[in-house]
This record gives sequence, C-alpha cells and structure tokens, in this order.
Amino acid sequence: MSTPVVFDPMTLPSDDNVNSYTFCVELKGSRWFLQKGKMIAYYGQIDFDGIGHGRFERLVRTSFHSPLHASDWVVAEGSGKMLLADRAFDVNSFDLDDGNLTIRSGNLLAYEPSLALKQSIVPGFVTLIGTGKFVAASNGPVVFMEPPLRVDPQALVGWADCPSPCHHYDHGYMTGVMGGIRSLTGIGGTSGEEHQFEFVGAGTVLLQSSEALMAEQATGFVPNEPGVPGGPGGGGQHGSTPRMPGQLGDLQRRFGL
Amino acid sequence: MFRLQGSKTLAVDLTGDAVKAKNGSMVAYDGRMTFKKMSGGGEGLRGMVTRRLTGEQMTVMEVSGQGTCYFADRASEINLVSLHGDTLYVEASNLLATDSGLRTGTTFTGLRGGASGNGLFTTTVEGTGQAAIMSDGAAVLLRVSPQYPLMVDPGAYIAHQGRLQQSFQSGVNFRTLMGEGSGEAFQIRFEGDGLVYVQPSERNTVGGDV
Repeated sequence: MSTPVVFDPMTLPSDDNVNSYTFCVELKGSRWFLQKGKMIAYYGQIDFDGIGHGRFERLVRTSFHSPLHASDWVVAEGSGKMLLADRAFDVNSFDLDDGNLTIRSGNLLAYEPSLALKQSIVPGFVTLIGTGKFVAASNGPVVFMEPPLRVDPQALVGWADCPSPCHHYDHGYMTGVMGGIRSLTGIGGTSGEEHQFEFVGAGTVLLQSSEALMAEQATGFVPNEPGVPGGPGGGGQHGSTPRMPGQLGDLQRRFGL
Repeated sequence: MFRLQGSKTLAVDLTGDAVKAKNGSMVAYDGRMTFKKMSGGGEGLRGMVTRRLTGEQMTVMEVSGQGTCYFADRASEINLVSLHGDTLYVEASNLLATDSGLRTGTTFTGLRGGASGNGLFTTTVEGTGQAAIMSDGAAVLLRVSPQYPLMVDPGAYIAHQGRLQQSFQSGVNFRTLMGEGSGEAFQIRFEGDGLVYVQPSERNTVGGDV
C-alpha cells in the first residue's frame, strides 16, 4: 500500500493545485475573491467577509463591477493557506496577462483582485479583465481550442481574446414542417447537435470534456434600457435567452402565425 | 490486505480471514466468499442500540473466504488508512470497509456535529489494521500540529485521526443576520497533533448557506 501524501502548511503548494479537484491559495496579507461556500479548509488567520457595503466598498469599486450579484461573492483576507474546491469538479488556475476572458458564471471559483470582474453582455457569463490569476471549475479537464470552430453549448466554459460567439443552426435539418416536427417530437431522429455556438477570429476557446453544466450562478440583472441585451424589457424582440430548437415558437413561425 | 484497484475500487485479498464492509458494497470477487450481514455492525446489542439512538446507523456485512473481493460505492474515491493502535474518527456514511480486527464504535462529537448537519455522533475505528474511507473526489490529507491549527468547512470534513481537539468556530456577525453572510460562517477548528481528511466537495449542511 502506498502511503498517502500528507500536507501541512509547509508542503502545501502556493497558488497551485493540490490534486485535480483541489486548489491551494496562499494569502500573505492579500485578498482574494471567491464564490460563496467554496472554501473547504484553511491554515492560518483568514477572515471571510461578504461583500456589501462597508470596508470593502473601494475594492468592490475597483475590481468588482457587478454590485448586483455581490452577495454571491466573498472576500478572503489574511495570511495563511486556503483550499478551494467545488463539488468534486476539476479545478484549474489560469493566468491572464493584460487580457480578457469571458467565462460561464458558475464555473468561476475565485480570482485575484488585480483582475476586474464584469458582467458579460452574453447572459450567464462574466468577463475578467486585467492581469492576475483566477481559478475555474469544469466537469472534466479543460480543453483549449482555437477558432474558427463550432462548439456544443453545454461544453463551453469560456473564451479569451476573441469576439463573442454567435448561434449556428443546422439549417437543412431544422427548417420546414418536417424539421419542426422532428425537433418537437424527436420523431425522425434528432441528433441533439442541431445548434452550436460559432467562434470566429483570433483567440482561445475553453471547453470542458463533458456536457454536464455547472449550476448557474446569478450574475445580477442588467439595467432595463433599450439596447441592452438580456434586459427585462428593452432587449431582444423574442425574449432575452437564445431561442433553443424545439420550442413552440419555431413551429408557429413556420406556419406563418 | 487492502489495496486500491484504480482509485474507486477497493480490492481485498483474503486468505481465510474476514473483513467488515458496508452492506451491499461488493462489486465482484474471485475465489470463495461468504457474505454475512452483521446486525448492528458487529458491536453487539449495546452497539446496535447506541447506533439506533445516535443516528450513526451503519449496515455492515462480514466477508470471509479465500480469494480477492472488490468493493466500491457510487464511484466514490477510496482512501486507505493504516491504524496502529490509534483511533480513526469517521462519519458512518464515509466508512467503506475495515479489517475484522478493528473495533468500531460510536462517540459523541459535541457541538460541531449538530451544526454541521453530520449528527451529534460519529463513528470510531480503533485497533491495528487497515480501513477504507470514501470521499467525493480525491481526499486531501492535512496535518495538524500544535503551531498550525486547521479550520475545516463542516461539509467537507470526512475523517480525522490522532490526538485532536475539535472546537466549533463561528464567524457569524451582524452582517450575517442582514443577509450579507460570507457563506463560510461555521468552521471546525482542529488543534493538537493528527491528520484530517477533507473532500473537495461540500455536503449540504445547516450552516452552508449562512
């Protein structure tokens, strides 16, 4: 029997993975943002504070631009080593060097305050801008791909440095009355792959190696203004969420109703 | 003789001796095996009553025979623990198998169990031999020494061994009551000398959302 590795504050890695599911952050009087409830253990003296008003207001102003979902985040402050994990999903750290990266809100676990977190205009996604380290969870290891490519919506974790994706539909398979019936009932066979996200331009696309989605984390509302996608009233004509195949709306439109 | 077959299957080589395992956790065996359900975890009538009263129920079977028996449970990661006369404290739901030479029992954990949703009691395994415990994701083994106490989220705690005092630490303040809690309001604080097993996932606990 191999003896398991025992970690203590000296042997725990600093800002690196302990195993593929656990990440260790070293705090030396510094601060980290983390999603609520993702800390599993820590050594040393670390305080966890919800970010609302009060002494973190300046920090929130400079590196947390979404006051509307501030209640889902916590600031860890102090010195010591802290372990982060999320429902036994794979966790990985990524370094951004004066870059930008957009990630599904549920996948982001923690980030350094040298990065700024902003709500993406794509609903359910957040964007990190600046220089620093962040930790993200994924179901299965993350795969890096380069555009142009089309990805399955459920496998997408995020993208860096490339313009936002657009929807791509398998036209021939989805149009016509037969296509409508097929996508509504499944009769005639749906492959489940009629709809993808399409990426073009230069950059990197991050995919997880499974199609299990992480629970979505609220990103807050967007202002109710005309021209703001995803806004409750002023946004898109057909509702704010992308229209998925198989919805009744498709069939109605096909019959010209 | 316990060994791991991959990280999620426990293989036990038996040569006429016996092993105690969670009821129904056998997935395969070769050789000749007999499986016997042990009422009350083989702790006698008193143990059975204690388990029933404390909520640390554990249905255990005794496997004996010649050959290799394989155990697994819901694809949980398995960790082997060697005991040399010391005591392992583990949640009953995380205990997969123990050498038949090890004694199991129940013990009072104090306040921390109640708040963490793990129950007020926990299972002890003592003696000399091997035990297998399960975790959701590969467990991390953390050493606690007098100069380095350890704080653990109650939902991620699975087991500990050694001479450790545990106390309950709360960061509840007026902001928690205002709904601006940090989500990390409760921790178990371990002091002394020993090892703590932590899983990279959190059970739902009473304190988890505060």
